[in-house]
Amino acid sequence: MTKVKICGLKEQQHVQAASRADAVGFVFAPSKRQVTIEQAAELAKYVPIDTDKIGVFVNASLKEIEDTVAGVPLTMVQLHGDEPDELVKAIKVPVIQAFSIRTKEDVAKLKRSLADYVLVDAPGTDYRGGSGNVFDWSLLEGVDIDPARLIVAGGLNPGNVHAAIEQTTPYMVDVSSGVETDNRKDTVKIQEFIKQVKDDSVEQTIEKVGFFGKYGGQFVPETLMKAVKELEDAYNEVKEDPEFHKEYHHYLSEYVGREQPLTFAKRMTEAYGGPKIYLKREDLNHTGAHKVNNAIGQALLAMRMGKRKIVAETGAGQHGVATATICALFDLDCVIFMGEEDIKRQQLNVFRMKLLGARVESVTKGSATLKDAVNEALRYWVANVEDTHYLIGSALGPHPFPTMVRDFQSVIGEETKRQILEKEGRLPDTILACVGGGSNAIGMFYPFIQDKEVELIGVEAAGQGVDTDKHAATLTKGTDGVLHGAFMKLLQDDAGQVQEAHSISAGLDYPGIGPEHAHLADTGRVEYRSITDDEALAAVISMSRLEGIIPALESAHAIAEAQKQAKQMTADQILVICVSGRGDKDMATYAEKLEGLS
Amino acid sequence: MNRLEQLKSSGNKAFVAYVMAGDGGLERLREQVQYLQGAGVTAIEIGIPFSDPVADGPTIEAAGNRALKQGVTLQKVLEELKSWTFDIKIPLLVMTYLNPVLKFGVERFATECGKAGISGVIIPDLPYEHKQLVQPYLDKENIKLIQLVTLTTTDVRLDDILREAEGFVYAVTIKGITGSRDELSQDVKTFMQKIRKKSPVPVYAGFGISKSSHVDMLRDDVDGFIVGSAIVEAFNAGKIEEIEPLIRAVTTA
Repeated sequence: MTKVKICGLKEQQHVQAASRADAVGFVFAPSKRQVTIEQAAELAKYVPIDTDKIGVFVNASLKEIEDTVAGVPLTMVQLHGDEPDELVKAIKVPVIQAFSIRTKEDVAKLKRSLADYVLVDAPGTDYRGGSGNVFDWSLLEGVDIDPARLIVAGGLNPGNVHAAIEQTTPYMVDVSSGVETDNRKDTVKIQEFIKQVKDDSVEQTIEKVGFFGKYGGQFVPETLMKAVKELEDAYNEVKEDPEFHKEYHHYLSEYVGREQPLTFAKRMTEAYGGPKIYLKREDLNHTGAHKVNNAIGQALLAMRMGKRKIVAETGAGQHGVATATICALFDLDCVIFMGEEDIKRQQLNVFRMKLLGARVESVTKGSATLKDAVNEALRYWVANVEDTHYLIGSALGPHPFPTMVRDFQSVIGEETKRQILEKEGRLPDTILACVGGGSNAIGMFYPFIQDKEVELIGVEAAGQGVDTDKHAATLTKGTDGVLHGAFMKLLQDDAGQVQEAHSISAGLDYPGIGPEHAHLADTGRVEYRSITDDEALAAVISMSRLEGIIPALESAHAIAEAQKQAKQMTADQILVICVSGRGDKDMATYAEKLEGLS
Repeated sequence: MNRLEQLKSSGNKAFVAYVMAGDGGLERLREQVQYLQGAGVTAIEIGIPFSDPVADGPTIEAAGNRALKQGVTLQKVLEELKSWTFDIKIPLLVMTYLNPVLKFGVERFATECGKAGISGVIIPDLPYEHKQLVQPYLDKENIKLIQLVTLTTTDVRLDDILREAEGFVYAVTIKGITGSRDELSQDVKTFMQKIRKKSPVPVYAGFGISKSSHVDMLRDDVDGFIVGSAIVEAFNAGKIEEIEPLIRAVTTA
């Protein structure tokens, strides 16, 4: 399968248009397409992790090349000048050496190159590094070059790339001016070019999907790929199906009790002394939290796929309870994996799940919390993939889960948007939501992403403090890595071993973060802060006494941050807090931690 | 020449043994590899411990946890391999989850594997879709990236994966995680025949292979066998000699 490289990218929208490409090129040599290291590093935030980022150089020094490779970072280097063999050998990443081809003699030079790949191009005009002139592909005929090393460039465009591939069967095709209009990249042409290479290929092919910038993907064992792909297809189908939406909203309204109010918190507003505070009341959902929105959506989808067995993981137990509830409603077989530690912390929820007819499996491995419950649920899915759906509870896991969970939870943000417009005639200034894996937050934020004037703040669990080793502040302290099927941010040690997270709230006790959140943090669209166990507990008391609403420990993190945020806001501003769940499940913890309360 | 290619040209049935690096202490790896080489295995997979091994069953996960407790890391394993001066005649492979590789640096991983004389790398949570993440770096070192195919791999995927397969194809014999099984299902045989017909490289069966009866059942349909949990268990129990009949059942006959 021939790979595609889109070269000479300078703008974010064009990088995004090239998301299905196998490689993107940034030109660092003098050219009208030249970018700086800083510009390329910014653009690289929008490139999926497994897409090659290739830097184009002309007679640059080794140091210059190495600094650029590290600064962007780049995965390959392309040389367009008269670079000596020593330089080619000294570059650590794979090297592409480019040759301008006029005659058969030029072709012979290709064969002597020490580079990992050779790129053939038509001779340049003003600048070196590709001219857009059409290369005479027939020159390559009868020349003994390993096609696995060959990259073809030079005058390619959506109209002729097919012929070029048939004639030369190269490793990759490279295009720059062929996807431009008036010397600027053209989104439509970029997509058309990739489509020509990928979709019109004689071979049916498989390709990567599901990235948010560089995060996401489908990093799962091969045994699961079929199930993940089937799910992706099934979800794509129902997404466009009005009948499915009707059914989903029917259960949200008749069973869950939506829509939930956007309650004006009069006493909190007065007490916190800043903006008008509104509460999005996910705590009023049947089963007590936002988790049920997603459980219904996925259960309906599973049944459409003919699957009547459900496996799920749970941390605090809210997702487990929501799943067990929906499985009872639809008569589905239900297995819930839950860490031994969480079972101890959340005994009431364990009993609720059992009462609802679910089988609760205790996970004793690792830290015996949510991360390990996900591992066991994935293993169970691997072994029972033909008839079982994995109903994941947060915006995590391999594609399509993060997208699908977000879409099912977006009802939170959609209702909020409609309600605030009715009540205030304008959008809020700030919205806060707690983040563990990130499902209530992404559901709340997503409908507001394009409304740049709305400030979005995600609140992580700082546990005993982000400078201790007992926290779950993944975006504050985490680094890039792969866990549970996605490239995201992780709490991990120097050897890439995933660390245990800590939070008093079992629902935020996860060492990763949904890939879309990682991207939103990277691009700065959402700001992520953190709240300690003690601050969250104080917020529980505060809200309970001011509003008569006892929040879940998870939601209390958003409330605690709201109290801080309110101090920097004024009376004519509006702040919305997502109260993701109610505190019933946490009563034992509250009774223990807040003993002596008066 | 990559040792995996030599192995292919020899024509015998292969026996690939898996060991968890650092189970019982990293210093034991050397003797384990020497023992297995002496016992006649045709290649050795060196497992890198990982905190969240979702493709592995309880035996290998427990071995990995024992190794992690000893502070074993990818870097330490590669350093250990590089320090070996004894004669290694058979291909060595590294089996690791993706995250330790990403943290170590993919390019550095490939270079260090090259220096350590590694012939192939297996990354169970790096599917075909994302192999570009490591393939170009391994290519540079002439190290093969071994692909897995399973009973649930669709025909379209199978064609794509096999077209670009190198070294050998790791054919997973069960729907599930690694670990010893009593029986292998009958459709495994048909599945192996299908893969072998299409594959440009040898087809080795793995996951759940622990008995001579498994070997007998699939012998005519594959080019070799990969044995993991049974060996890990035997090393841990101090009874590795009990694995020898299984090695003989594959390599002789």
